[in-house]
Amino acid sequence: MSMRSQVYEWANLATGGNSSLQRATTDTVVAVPANVSTDIFIGGIGNNITKPAETTATQFIVIEDISCSPYLAGSVQVRINTTDYFQNPDVTQMNGVPGLASPYPRGSPSGFTQAGAATTYNPDNLLKSFDLYPDVYVLPGQVFQILYTTVQGAPTQVVQAFVKYTLYDGPDALIANKLLELGVTINPNNVDWYKRSLIEQQTRSAVAATAAAAGGQA
Amino acid sequence: MSMRSQVYAWNGNSFAGAAPAAAAGDFVNTQAGIQTSIFIGGFGNNITKPAETTATEFVVIEDVACTPSLAADVATTTAGAALAVGQLAGWTVVAGTAMWGPRAYVQVRINTTDYFLNPDNVTNDGIPGTGSPYPRSLDFQPSFNLYPDVYVLPGQVWDVRYTAYCAATNWGTTVGNSLTNGNAHNAFCKYTLYDGPDALIANKLLEMGISINPGNVDWYKRSLLSAQGM
Repeated sequence: MSMRSQVYEWANLATGGNSSLQRATTDTVVAVPANVSTDIFIGGIGNNITKPAETTATQFIVIEDISCSPYLAGSVQVRINTTDYFQNPDVTQMNGVPGLASPYPRGSPSGFTQAGAATTYNPDNLLKSFDLYPDVYVLPGQVFQILYTTVQGAPTQVVQAFVKYTLYDGPDALIANKLLELGVTINPNNVDWYKRSLIEQQTRSAVAATAAAAGGQA
Repeated sequence: MSMRSQVYAWNGNSFAGAAPAAAAGDFVNTQAGIQTSIFIGGFGNNITKPAETTATEFVVIEDVACTPSLAADVATTTAGAALAVGQLAGWTVVAGTAMWGPRAYVQVRINTTDYFLNPDNVTNDGIPGTGSPYPRSLDFQPSFNLYPDVYVLPGQVWDVRYTAYCAATNWGTTVGNSLTNGNAHNAFCKYTLYDGPDALIANKLLEMGISINPGNVDWYKRSLLSAQGM
């Protein structure tokens, strides 16, 4: 399986500290400070992984969707090595795609208010205004981060972020690199198309060689 | 019928009484925090043996989904109030976690290999129900599409494994829609079963690097017929 659809879901829930590698039934809310970009992979808040997200020499990643909780002015940014993907028109730094434009979960209320012990959700079903197209490519050997920022902070609320990507590994990563050189969009269909064109080319070569050999004998 | 669209829907709550259960007492606790096979895990509706393909079968898994959850404010966890809107009607909050719903995930396993990994190549819990909800509704729509599909080659064993991190094992009520309210642990799998000659064609398409779907299998059949002058 050299092309695999993958997802990563982050929430500020952890057990026994600010972050944990495994989800647990005992997870509790970890406060997210305001205006601080948190790496959802190794940021030290919520569920994390063991090392920074990176591609090996034989891997190629295509990030196809990012989203986050729409409330508390949350946003999500993609960083490749040290470069932020989303920027302001004046080429200054920004927090990324707002959760209101790319909500997670889709269709959920856009926010909630708390009065006393009860929570009231906004009576709406939020849909996405943003589509990550063209996709974001993470080339072999690059480090990537997904950064979540809330302007208001989340002291007691659960916030989430979500990323959907396709991992190309081994030969398919080589083909992805080749497609990149050719200026062709990298997606499973085009990788399959390139494989088919290689097979057709080999078949034509074999037929031509056979015909040439037959001609030589005659 | 050698190409067949198939589904498997699982409800993790074993029914002590006659299904569908009508009272909270009829539900048997689902094991929280432990990955459970939806086919032979011993909870909910199961089948007689592990899901596997024979030498003449080819399975393409096209969608997996499970019960979604909704984030909330931890300060409401003592409220015990049920939501009253849409699909969430009747849901009650999970004590101590500030999440509505089971925090459920589904993973696909082929033989002994898990399909979904973290970016550090460590296996994870799989697709969150919040990203791929079942059932889908206005309140919960998919953020995830299983593309490319997952292929189960002839002779392989496959499994769909469900994990829920709800704090309480029997965490819901029976108020509201029994399929979508807090008492349900649902999982869903959509796949296409190719059998006999169509499984051979599926293998051939795999060798050729062509996506396996009913349209491409039909195209291959047509090209064979064309080659024979028909």
